[in-house]
Amino acid sequence: MTGSYAEVFFLAFFGIAAIWFGIVVFRTHSMVRSAMALLFSQTAVGAMFLVMQAEFLGVLQLMMMATEMSVMALFMVMFMMDPGGMGAMDMSHQKRLSLWAGGIGLVAALAVSWLPDWGPVAQNIPDASRQIELLGIELLGRSMFIFESAGLTILTAMIAATMVAIAPRKTGEDA
Amino acid sequence: MIVELSVALGIGAGLFGVGLYGALSQTNLVMIIMGVELILAAALVNLVAFWRYLHPDAMSGQMFFLIVMTVMAVEMTVGFGIAIARFRSRGSVEMEEARELKG
Repeated sequence: MTGSYAEVFFLAFFGIAAIWFGIVVFRTHSMVRSAMALLFSQTAVGAMFLVMQAEFLGVLQLMMMATEMSVMALFMVMFMMDPGGMGAMDMSHQKRLSLWAGGIGLVAALAVSWLPDWGPVAQNIPDASRQIELLGIELLGRSMFIFESAGLTILTAMIAATMVAIAPRKTGEDA
Repeated sequence: MIVELSVALGIGAGLFGVGLYGALSQTNLVMIIMGVELILAAALVNLVAFWRYLHPDAMSGQMFFLIVMTVMAVEMTVGFGIAIARFRSRGSVEMEEARELKG
């Protein structure tokens, strides 16, 4: 039972950290702080995966989010009128409606999570190397079509985003 | 009731609520993307929790995780592509100034 208590403690600890940093994202005026808070939130989520013994997914989450949030911080500095938040600009609207929607979403998600009987907890879990082996078999076997579709979707999104972002070439009349 | 699963799902619900609030309340495109990222992070927490505590031998849970992570990457890529185009043409990514996109 000691392992179970420790697991519950660390799950709750990293989970509360993830939610807290998630709230900080929308409360701070500094855009760079927002991006860093989101990075810490996603890092805490990655730590939750490690607590749940999903080592590969946890490390994947940490690596991917560290890169993604660094890029996001760069975009924040590029696009914002006041990236440092010195002017304390309010960049929100319909706060009351959003709070209600967030609250109702939270209660609904808690209800569908906590009310059903999920059955007994699984005791035996494959070790890290066996998990990767099984995931590889899953990816290159039964789920290969879905996996390949995901790769193709990312490629399409990359090309589409690049085409949208490229500056239109000026014609002779415009130049 | 499985305590570990309940804690993980409760955390997922919390992240979902915060993300939904952020996606609806923010006026800036990049901040809206941040809210959506939190909502998708909540989905990831739920997927890993269900895999770990209910079906650790079935790898389709982890497969689903990879698909949701793909959605996160695609959402950010397309979002920033649109943000760059918008910033170039209008000099702002404020969504309150994008009412003409309504059609």
